[in-house]
Amino acid sequence: MDTLAFLLDGFMVALTPMNLMWVSIGGLLGTIIGMLPGLGPATGVAVLLPLTFSMGPTAALITMGGVYYGAMYGGSRASILINTPGDGAAVAATFDGYPMTKQGRAESALAISAIASFIGGIFATFCMVAIAIPVARFALRFGPAEYFMLFLFALSATASMTEGNRLRGFIATILGLMIATIGIDGQSGVSRFTMGILELQSGIDFLIVIIAVYALGEVFKSFKNIDSGQATVQKSFGKIWISREEWKRSVWPILRSAPLGFFVGALPGAGGTMASLMSYNNEKQLSKHSEEFGDGAIEGLAAPESANNAASVGAMIPMLTLGIPGSGTTAVMMGALLLLGLQPGPMLFQQQPLIVWGLIASMFIGNIILAVMNIPLAGLLVRVLSVPPKILYPIVLGLSFVGAYAISYSVMDFFLLIGFGLLGYFMSRSKFPSTPMILAVIVGNNMEQSFRRAYKISDGSLGIFFASPICLILFSLTVISILYPLVKAGIAKRKTAEA
Amino acid sequence: MGTAAGAVPLEETVSFSIIPSLLFFVLGLVYTVSTALLPEAAVGRPFEPKIFPFMLGGLMLVMSLALMIREIKALKGNEEIQEHLPFYKEAGFKKIALTCVFSVLYALLFDKVGYVISTIIFLELELILFNGVKNWKINTAVSLAFSLFIYIVFSKLLGVYLPMTPGIWI
Repeated sequence: MDTLAFLLDGFMVALTPMNLMWVSIGGLLGTIIGMLPGLGPATGVAVLLPLTFSMGPTAALITMGGVYYGAMYGGSRASILINTPGDGAAVAATFDGYPMTKQGRAESALAISAIASFIGGIFATFCMVAIAIPVARFALRFGPAEYFMLFLFALSATASMTEGNRLRGFIATILGLMIATIGIDGQSGVSRFTMGILELQSGIDFLIVIIAVYALGEVFKSFKNIDSGQATVQKSFGKIWISREEWKRSVWPILRSAPLGFFVGALPGAGGTMASLMSYNNEKQLSKHSEEFGDGAIEGLAAPESANNAASVGAMIPMLTLGIPGSGTTAVMMGALLLLGLQPGPMLFQQQPLIVWGLIASMFIGNIILAVMNIPLAGLLVRVLSVPPKILYPIVLGLSFVGAYAISYSVMDFFLLIGFGLLGYFMSRSKFPSTPMILAVIVGNNMEQSFRRAYKISDGSLGIFFASPICLILFSLTVISILYPLVKAGIAKRKTAEA
Repeated sequence: MGTAAGAVPLEETVSFSIIPSLLFFVLGLVYTVSTALLPEAAVGRPFEPKIFPFMLGGLMLVMSLALMIREIKALKGNEEIQEHLPFYKEAGFKKIALTCVFSVLYALLFDKVGYVISTIIFLELELILFNGVKNWKINTAVSLAFSLFIYIVFSKLLGVYLPMTPGIWI
């Protein structure tokens, strides 16, 4: 029953008035960023990170958690009302959410999305409380060799789950690892790939890469459409709530999608996009009204919203317990943790239980506060959607630069910011995914260090990476993660050839 | 997670350009060569700092070559090559280029004239670019409000140092 006591302590931490205020402010600001087309939770957390620089670690994490949830809520508002999803995970909310708005049922759509997100998030937080400690305890058995294999598995799973672009996913991953090798090597003092530039000796801060790719790169992408006509937003609403009939139709899809979302979110590389699309397809097949899907079926909105929120909590598990972020947003959260001097991983639960459980408790609280904010205040919040992007995007740019400056207090980073922003833009133009690269930049250093440590222990033999059962299991998982999509594609091809 | 998933489930999407794969190949080559040229470590095994980079360089070469071959095959298999605008003619490119120029200017001014003034200039330029000179009143109001607000919040409330304008209190 340790866990309950920890959780209770966590609640005590999260429920102080200051922390409650921070989670609300974070939620509000996150909601605003999340509503911007093309910008999702990863961008929100990256851009608002500097807000937390002067806070203690607990308050900082709680604020970030608020931003994270806020941006997810904001993203689905934009999907429902003006058909512009903030990120991949909010795409599924446009399928039925936007048709509902066009039919004059925006009130139900907004309400069910908040309710489904709330239930999905709370359910997943319960699962997390149950699972986190056992996973962390298990991970304590990992030595450097096991860690290296785990990184290998996480990265290859992320790369090979990249939609339709597996080879490009791998190339992006290697690029990220290469970026991580820049700077003075911690174990030997050899300065690597710095091209004689003094500022690069300490390495490239991954937070700069994150802000560059998720804020600048995404804003660059949006420039193309910035002048296209301003969408008209419905600003006056009736009572934002759902009817008994609508609730009856949604309740099972919500409850079914929450565990699915949680599970998919906890897998490396899968994340909210896949969770929400899977649950949408699932419900479409199960539903008695499947012909209504895509045409304003309320369960078609409820299911992905529940799955998406559950996945966002699930994704915290590998990040907190193993130090391996499973998605873009958790990568940014991990960046925030590292910046605070906290190394995510099994030891974090032992050394800083108050911080970890404070964060988990604040997920409960954040979910409640955002649901409360988003149902009665929806009419007020969506007014942000009527501020033209032409004014909001320059502000996001302004925030990115303050953020970059506050990380290192060096203008040198502005140039890195611009450079990596352009890299992110050109990569996405040539269909190279940016998330695998970001994950690789973050774990790259740890991955190499664990490789080197294992190599030292074994006195130069690579056999150590296949010596323990855990290593072998992780190695097989890596192979499966690479081969499975190939096999699946092969089967699909054969099927189409037969047909 | 930015791509609109679901549109391209299994079928590998093909872009009709080998330039990116070529660039990554060159990067792999440069990276591998510079790894070989790295100095030996003074402590531990002398080649140790090179092992991981060598693996990365090698993998990059193999993967980018594979991608290049696939792209060339796709090019040959598809007689009708889709017309692709060169990127510099695409809508939005001019704005990206100008934003970069403004950002460099911002970086050069930042330390010299202080946060508030340089940010007002940067935002004003960006807003003229997007919102037009005509709306200068709104543009100016937004850049003034943003710069001062951020300065006060960060510098005064959150204790994050931002460069001050010489001679003025902010």
